[in-house]
Amino acid sequence: MADFGMDDEDLEQMYQEVILDAARDPHGRVGDQADGGEDSDGDGVTIRVEHEACLAAESHQFNPTCGDQATIHVEVAPGEQGGPDLIQRIVWQGSGCSISQASLSIMVDLVQGQTVDHAMDLAADFRKLMESRGAGIEDEKAQDALGDAMVFQGVSKYPMRIKCALLGWEGMKASVAQALSAGRVGDKAVKEEQA
Amino acid sequence: MVIDDSIRQQFPILDQQVHGHPMVYLDSAATAQKPLAVIDAVRDFYLKDNAGVHRGAHELAARSTMAFEHARSRVAALVGAEGQEGGEEIVVTAGATAALNLLATAFGNASLGRGGKAAQRFALKPGDEVVVSKAEHHSVLLPFQELCYRTGAVLKSFDLDPDGRVLADTADQVITERTKVVAVTHVSNVTGAITDIKPIVRRAHQVGALVVLDVCQSVPHLPIDLHAMDVDFAAWSAHKMYGPTGVGFLYGRRELLEALPPASFGGSMVELAYLDRPASYMDPPARFEAGTQPVAQMIGAGVAADWLMDLGMENVAEHEKAIAIGLLRVGELDGVRILGPTTPEDRIGTVAFDVQGVHPHDVGQYVDSRGIAIRVGHHCAQPVHRHFGLMASNRASTGVYNTVADTDALLDAVSGVRRFFRVA
Repeated sequence: MADFGMDDEDLEQMYQEVILDAARDPHGRVGDQADGGEDSDGDGVTIRVEHEACLAAESHQFNPTCGDQATIHVEVAPGEQGGPDLIQRIVWQGSGCSISQASLSIMVDLVQGQTVDHAMDLAADFRKLMESRGAGIEDEKAQDALGDAMVFQGVSKYPMRIKCALLGWEGMKASVAQALSAGRVGDKAVKEEQA
Repeated sequence: MVIDDSIRQQFPILDQQVHGHPMVYLDSAATAQKPLAVIDAVRDFYLKDNAGVHRGAHELAARSTMAFEHARSRVAALVGAEGQEGGEEIVVTAGATAALNLLATAFGNASLGRGGKAAQRFALKPGDEVVVSKAEHHSVLLPFQELCYRTGAVLKSFDLDPDGRVLADTADQVITERTKVVAVTHVSNVTGAITDIKPIVRRAHQVGALVVLDVCQSVPHLPIDLHAMDVDFAAWSAHKMYGPTGVGFLYGRRELLEALPPASFGGSMVELAYLDRPASYMDPPARFEAGTQPVAQMIGAGVAADWLMDLGMENVAEHEKAIAIGLLRVGELDGVRILGPTTPEDRIGTVAFDVQGVHPHDVGQYVDSRGIAIRVGHHCAQPVHRHFGLMASNRASTGVYNTVADTDALLDAVSGVRRFFRVA
């Protein structure tokens, strides 16, 4: 039978310094939201849009088994004249275990200012890494691109924790998709009005 | 009988190494491990007697039915609910959650006029009140909250004291003339606090309200006498009382079960069925037991009930109190706060705690690496966590097989958590 737990060595491997550091002071977290409290379901979250020209959207992610939760806010600058869409700003509010917090932090570092296509590629590679059951991924280009996010390889051995690591990435994907689809509907409406 | 370490020999599962450490199982509030007597009973049933119950006329069907009904009477005996015939006040369900949903659905059916005049005592209408407490498990809260949404009744709740104990002495204010149902926990699965149900039952019956008691966390740990407690309904599961998963119980006072309309329909709960007119349904408890029953599990549950009665529930309670005292020392560690009463009086050995600055998922992972199984998360009771200003917590809980060495191992592990996560 598979051993889904860990010994001391595994514990150190899962909670590497990069993860513990990132979890203590995660990048991209805004607002001062205490753990728990009545607003912990995210209803009370309001993040101000900084880039008016961008398409903004939010996605609330919740892991009901442990209460990890985050609202991921993105502002996407639409590509002009066929250029790529850019993630102009990505921030989040939330609370959770060190794995979810560190993963959010590293995800923000990786996709902030990047093209949407690049962010989606990273998300796909990160999912592959998390589904690798500890084996990691072979694609060296993907390894390089994931950078610090590769430290979550140790987490991928533990089925109960994979969702923690994926929380932020899922929120990024959902909020970017929402921003773009809202934008398209708006564009279409404007065009129809002009026609 | 004094319960000592030798009882562990009846639980072979406990004798294993986890991540290089002797396993310490402190998650009995989630599910208890099973003694050999229960495991053997389930195996024997499948080896010798397996058949459906209450149908068929062959030898195995007769044996299975006899064993099933005997098990029902043993479960009734464990909780002080023995009727004239044995277990007629015990309805077999798929679990405690299923039992509570059955009851809430049946109340809803009565509210729609089903069950005729006799069932009107269960009917809810707009303006009626259902009272729960802030300490409820979601399996109590949600079925009755949904019942309120369906009927227009208003959901009210008992508040908790700073230790998370239900403020039972506010019963005269919380329960009013409009209250029809009071559904509360006997022992919280988070705080471990025992609810003082006397003032609640007294006030509820004074205004003609029905009392539904969640005894999931009390039946495995305390002597329970449902008749003496004078509650109207109660729900619990077998798997927390050392029986198999997949079976639970709804207790109802006989006259109430007789008036209650069914909630689940199908085979073996009906007397006469037609295409062009309503069916007539069987007497309880069969009326509430549609479909093929979990026979092997029920037989295992009956053996678990006998096994507990042989130990003596007073002895079980006394043994676990000593373990609880050991667990409560976790609150003396730096940065650790107990969610619930910090002394062993009027509580069981279910001890939830928060480690300041470390998320429960991380605490759970850390202690698991030392072979210790505790529960982390919200334990299906989010409102009580909000009461403490938290989303989730860590929970260690006792069973008959726990020892003081188990509590020492937990303390030792938890004392290293904050240092490991660099918050101390």
